Amino acid sequence: MTSTTRTHATPSPGAGAAAPREVRVAVIGSGFAGLAMGITLRQRGETDFVLLERAEDVGGTWRDNTYPGAACDVQSHLYSYSFAPNPDWPRSYSEQPEIQAYLQATADRYGVRAHCVFGAEVTAARWDDDARRWQVWTTAGEFRAQVLVSAAGALADPTYPDIPGLDTFEGTVMHSARWDSSHDVSGRKVAVIGTGASAVQIVPAIQPQVESIAVYQRTPAWVIPRTDHPVKPWARRLYRLVPGLQRALRGVLYASREFLVIGLAKRRAFLKPVGRLARAHLHRQVRDPRLRAALTPDYTIGCKRILISNDWFPAVSAPNAELVTAGIAEIRPRSIVTRDGVERPTDTLVLATGFHVTDLPIAERIRGRDARALAEVWAGGMVSNRSTTVAGFPNLFLLVGPNVGVGHTSMVYMIESQVAYVDDALRTMAAEGLAVLETTPRAQEAYRELIARKSQGTVWLGGGCASWYLDEHGHNTTLWPDFTFRFRKLTRALDRENYVGIPAGAPVREQGEAA
Amino acid sequence: MTGTLIRTVRKRTAAVPTTDGARLHATVEGAEDAPVTVVLAHGWTLSQAAWDDVAGLLADRVADGALRLVRYDQRGHGRSTWSSPTHPESGLSIDRLGADLAGVLDQLVPTGPVVLGGHSMGGMTIMCLSATRPELFGDRVRGVALVSTSAGDLASDPRSAGGRMARIRPGVLTAALTGAGLLERLRGLVPPTHPRHRTVVRDLLYGADATDEMVLEGARIMHASSLRAFIEFLPALGDHDKRTQLDALTRVPVEIFVGDSDKLTPERHSAHLAEALPAARLHRVERTGHMLPQERPELVVDGVLRLVAGATGRDVA
Repeated sequence: MTSTTRTHATPSPGAGAAAPREVRVAVIGSGFAGLAMGITLRQRGETDFVLLERAEDVGGTWRDNTYPGAACDVQSHLYSYSFAPNPDWPRSYSEQPEIQAYLQATADRYGVRAHCVFGAEVTAARWDDDARRWQVWTTAGEFRAQVLVSAAGALADPTYPDIPGLDTFEGTVMHSARWDSSHDVSGRKVAVIGTGASAVQIVPAIQPQVESIAVYQRTPAWVIPRTDHPVKPWARRLYRLVPGLQRALRGVLYASREFLVIGLAKRRAFLKPVGRLARAHLHRQVRDPRLRAALTPDYTIGCKRILISNDWFPAVSAPNAELVTAGIAEIRPRSIVTRDGVERPTDTLVLATGFHVTDLPIAERIRGRDARALAEVWAGGMVSNRSTTVAGFPNLFLLVGPNVGVGHTSMVYMIESQVAYVDDALRTMAAEGLAVLETTPRAQEAYRELIARKSQGTVWLGGGCASWYLDEHGHNTTLWPDFTFRFRKLTRALDRENYVGIPAGAPVREQGEAA
Repeated sequence: MTGTLIRTVRKRTAAVPTTDGARLHATVEGAEDAPVTVVLAHGWTLSQAAWDDVAGLLADRVADGALRLVRYDQRGHGRSTWSSPTHPESGLSIDRLGADLAGVLDQLVPTGPVVLGGHSMGGMTIMCLSATRPELFGDRVRGVALVSTSAGDLASDPRSAGGRMARIRPGVLTAALTGAGLLERLRGLVPPTHPRHRTVVRDLLYGADATDEMVLEGARIMHASSLRAFIEFLPALGDHDKRTQLDALTRVPVEIFVGDSDKLTPERHSAHLAEALPAARLHRVERTGHMLPQERPELVVDGVLRLVAGATGRDVA
């Protein structure tokens, strides 16, 4: 297996330099989702698969986001695989290095690292209807697979702001997700653009070292206290001795977070206490009325992601900090100019400006039966059946695709739900001897309606904010707008009636369209 | 180079470390090579925001490159911290604030002529600087504006509000400091927007012409300052006495401003300053209280600009 991998590890500039490698399943990505898929494949006895990873290590978002202070906003007991509990989490909310180490260890423990092809960025994938296989071109060679699973992730490709003069800046520019640890920020005049989940972690982590820090804010976020604490050694021993205890704790954490859904998606009045908590947190930590006003959101809490931090407000009100609310007019070689005509000298620019979420770049690279890219099919908004399959894209499964995102709880729960669904689809294909499995436009439409109906009245649509949860048409195409256990129920088993299957050996037809 | 469509003003934030571990929040506006720097020190339980009106009127000059403006929060006020716990605050004094101002000058304005402006406790800060660093005056410091301030003897005026407060016994203060958390919460019950709050503030600090908007803004700035700042500086204000140490200030042009309705530092304090500094110009402003920089910013700006003109005139030679 590994030797074959090596053969393809060398990127071949000319097509046909090496014969395409045939696999049953090709998985794009080796983050939380890709690894979960790989582990599940291994456990069902499948060994003929690869994880195509553009970087040189597993971990995905947790490998890439190495900025100072990077940590998870969900407790580790919950933000981890259900099948791989870790009694040794050092903190209730773990930091990036621990989570990445957990992913590496899990990949090794379940033997999926051997299936990883590193340095293999998928440049294009196309469904070959004649061969009934996916053709996948990567920077490490060509692959052909019966089944393609995209686990490329939603927080994978950084977005860069479109600010005049950004390319003329002579200092150091770093996106939060592409942190350059060789650049020492101490004594620097730092500018941070963005006040989202990454910024509230970076700013407190670097503020004490830098000469000055200007935080450019477009919209303030609601911030609630972070109840983070180290996990005591005796507690870790206890988790090791009584695994059921950690499972129970996980259940409690899951349930308590799920209560938030009532407020977010059902009855907004239930968010009021959370809003009061956030307001009190701000009042306690920021004295200056003007700064307080600038940090107070004008939309309902929950509309944008609720942030958790105990040191964000103190950091932006530190003696060397300034919160800038005037919009940026332009960036000059050594400064940033805001629309009010103020020019602030800057030598380090941190772009905490998020990711391509509603316009996933992988969607431009995957082409279905009629050669149209997923991005084209999705031009009017991302659609799918059960967030996982798309009509016109046979044998393609999307993990962390449309309407599967969650802001209130562990994404790993959603990933495991989807992986179980894909697992059942593969089992169905094997049981029925199907070469091709494709969902129907009707199923897709029904799912779109389901999502639209569930999204009605949610705080994300009605909370009075613009967020990365909504696409350019104002539709919710990223979040699962209900209790997460309902998504799990929906994806427990393949909804066979919503799929058209073509048995292996059946003659190739023009279209596998359902009636 | 990108095209410049708008006139810009350079602005930077700096945290100035003090010798005893505090960090002072300073805002520097204007070109680094401006011919003169104006440094403004605010009063007790205020912050650099108390100079906003003055700074607003100076903005054009700053943008033109005629002067650079430095404002900072006194220790324990605004965003500035207290000294680090390893340097126990051994009897906080206004002299300490003078040393802080020296640090601001040394670190943010190491060269070039300087005009200093101080309001109330900020004016006392400048007097302390002149007593401990007289060599700066005439050489680096080329002009001083003293607004609603005093050279000392605040506690002996039984009728002034300052005098009444300065006689509060230290034991009471210590007790108050211990209960600061509770007091802070109680204080939260009567926010600046509360009519009673504004009535008290208006009566104590403002003259007859002050608008409600002005009073609310001032009340907000004061409300943002901590009780600890109120309590720790109160005895220091009572102890402040530089009446016999004003020599260095005789070497530079001085503009003195006082409101005739000032209850914290009544007129006689400014009259005494004018006596001690015969060359100084004393401006007695009618229908004006202690918050003169906010009530009559244009007068203060005129004074500052006269001092700036004098400072740069000599610099050209």
